[in-house]
Amino acid sequence: MLIVTALIISTFTAPENLGTNPQSMLWLLPLTAAVAVAYKAMKLPTITAGNFIKEAVLLFVSIAAFMAITALVLFAVAWVVTE
Amino acid sequence: MEFKNKNVFSLTFVGLASWIVPGAGYFLLKEKSRAIIVFTVVVLTFITGLYIGSIGVVDPVGAKMWYVAQIMSSPAVAAIGYISAGGEYPVYGRPSEVGQIYTAVAGLLNLLCIINSVYLAYAGRVESSGD
Repeated sequence: MLIVTALIISTFTAPENLGTNPQSMLWLLPLTAAVAVAYKAMKLPTITAGNFIKEAVLLFVSIAAFMAITALVLFAVAWVVTE
Repeated sequence: MEFKNKNVFSLTFVGLASWIVPGAGYFLLKEKSRAIIVFTVVVLTFITGLYIGSIGVVDPVGAKMWYVAQIMSSPAVAAIGYISAGGEYPVYGRPSEVGQIYTAVAGLLNLLCIINSVYLAYAGRVESSGD
């Protein structure tokens, strides 16, 4: 038990190796999900499982889509400027 | 959601409870499902940030503004800050960025929940305008 506890604690004392590749940007997706779930937990007048999941997924997709569109626009602007 | 109390001490108590334990304010207002969701989201987001960047991302000396956002998660973050303040857990680059963003967003989400639970205690209803 002591070893397990020590192992769990040790995972929080050294950073993970994320790298700076484009895939590391995928770490924003869990954060987007957290924001969507917390926001809907605050805003919905009554929380029922079906309605809550539907609303949270809709907000998650909206945020992700908006960020993707923003990324595409910025990429296009950068491409026009550098070409 | 029948609870309606404009006593400043009750509102302060709800706000403090929300800060000390994320979601506790909602729990006091008998909004158990909201309390469970908020607690789970804030704690999981914060722990994910610590897992990615290590406890070194909580840095009250070198990253004060991030620390202000992080400590909104709970006063318990101060204990992590006390441990990491000596610089024994250095973290740089992308893990530092992602870890700080996760932990700070967890804190800011909890700040929203604190404000929302105090409003709920004051008005007795959820503010859903602008949704």
